[in-house]
Amino acid sequence: MQILSLSLSNYRIFKRLEMDFPQRLTLLVGNNAQGKTSILEAIHFLSIFTSPLASSDREAINLLALKEEIPVGRIVGGIQKAGKKHTLEIRLILNPAQNGSGRLRKEVLIDGVKKKLFDAVGFFNSVLFLPQMTRILEDGPEERRKYIDQLLSQAYPGYVRALSDYQAALSRRNALLKLLFDKGGDEGQLAYWDEMIATNGATIIEARIKSISDFEEYFREQFRRLTGSREEIRLDYQPSYNGENQANRQLELGINQSASNPFGYAEIRENFLARLKTLRREEIRRGVTTIGPHRDEIRFFSNDIDLGVFGSRGQIRTAVMALKIAETQWLKDKSGELPVLLLDETLAELDELRRADLLNSLGLDEQAILTTTDLKLFSPDFAKTCQVWQVAEGRVEKSNSG
Amino acid sequence: MAILPEPLEKLMLAFERLPGIGPKTASRLAFYMLRAPAEVSADLAEALKDIKISTALCKVCFNITAAGRDLCDICAAPERDNGLVCVVEEPMDVLALERTAGFAGRYHVLHGALSPIEGIGPDNLRIAELEDRVKEGRIREIIVATNPSMEGDATALYLRQRLETYPVHLTRLARGLPVGGDLEYADQSTLLRALAGRQDL
Repeated sequence: MQILSLSLSNYRIFKRLEMDFPQRLTLLVGNNAQGKTSILEAIHFLSIFTSPLASSDREAINLLALKEEIPVGRIVGGIQKAGKKHTLEIRLILNPAQNGSGRLRKEVLIDGVKKKLFDAVGFFNSVLFLPQMTRILEDGPEERRKYIDQLLSQAYPGYVRALSDYQAALSRRNALLKLLFDKGGDEGQLAYWDEMIATNGATIIEARIKSISDFEEYFREQFRRLTGSREEIRLDYQPSYNGENQANRQLELGINQSASNPFGYAEIRENFLARLKTLRREEIRRGVTTIGPHRDEIRFFSNDIDLGVFGSRGQIRTAVMALKIAETQWLKDKSGELPVLLLDETLAELDELRRADLLNSLGLDEQAILTTTDLKLFSPDFAKTCQVWQVAEGRVEKSNSG
Repeated sequence: MAILPEPLEKLMLAFERLPGIGPKTASRLAFYMLRAPAEVSADLAEALKDIKISTALCKVCFNITAAGRDLCDICAAPERDNGLVCVVEEPMDVLALERTAGFAGRYHVLHGALSPIEGIGPDNLRIAELEDRVKEGRIREIIVATNPSMEGDATALYLRQRLETYPVHLTRLARGLPVGGDLEYADQSTLLRALAGRQDL
């Protein structure tokens, strides 16, 4: 899979931008705050249909464009996939609303034909590597859930739909729980929402169980390679739908053996529903849904040490790097094509050895786009194989490499 | 500093409060009223005044009817089937179903759907009244025709819970492919539901 061209309008710092990319390596060079990362963000946007950086996608629209009557940000990628050329376009349209704060609408077009987001996600795959991704290990569980969700949404089209239905039902269920606590009323109203979150929740949990155990193999292999087999990594997925530690431990076994899992969709759904019923009193009192995939946790263990708690800076960086390389391989095996690699300032963070290792493994088969503030981080030999683009103040210019 | 005289401003504001009307349309309508012959605004004013005074809700089905009458035309029609009741969210839905001319039973208008986000519970809807109608024992079948949305589905399931103890047959409107539609263009969830709700040939 390749990206051949990118055109942006009203996206972040870019009023307009036109770029093309060679088959293998591209280097974006420029000082900080010139738009390098925004280019990678835009390309990754084409994969996951949401910004990997912004807390709200509307932030991605150019500030000046916000003054226009209907602000529209646009990302158009020329994609090569299975030997065929396609255009993938995303429009971010800020609908003017009566009271100032407009609603953001996203449109996705493949080859000029409007598609539903759910149907189009996974059309173009890319793997993004940002220095701040150590957060996946260091920060709260929501970072890890977001990471897993973005990964799975590229591989399983149905996953995004279940996730979005789950969120919709969850917010309504929480509203109802509060309503029942404040004003009382018939608890029977909960039955439908219990059903909705258990059904969609089970789809999500089942996908997470299956894919995390599958993905763990790839991850473990990369981590072993990067640490010279000195460290053994393990992913501990802790779904939150039954709250019984015993059952969780069983589940853990299932993951580690990565054999056929006894925890199928029907069983998860049933347990989830039963648990919701026993928790009903307490949930009404607290006014929130206390179990479900929105409370799931994934821990990273290296030689049985929890990296999120005890990991050194170096260990965590290595884990993230292994994660990203594993992601590339995994997506390749899922979709049949290598995803596009997007590496932001990654090399500055790595020591000499790891840097050489990463560069050697790069660009043999896959397309990679790297950003750097300093071209000197790369050997002249390496730079010669790259197309170099200079990025400054929201403008780009091709320059000769090396 | 009001540039426009107050009555005009007042009318514009009144229009702007209507659903689907923004400031531009509101001012266009207000200026139109200003220029149009006097009877246009007089007719509108009269119609607006009457709408509250001369309408009421039917005492049986809660559809809208003329003031001073207990029953709406549908409930008053003797030839209609008393054993068949179609439950809808809004009076507009009655209109839509009546246009099909394919339904000869009675209706029951809930005046909304269960919506936790908007704080609408069973007590805000005409659900108890529906239960009372069912209790009378003359109804054979209730067709739940709430919208195919999360709220509509939640309402339907809740109605089932409330009514399942009574000897009444509960059905839900079928959902699936639109007439004249193309299979390949149907979205996944519609197609899945159409599959689940397939019928014998």
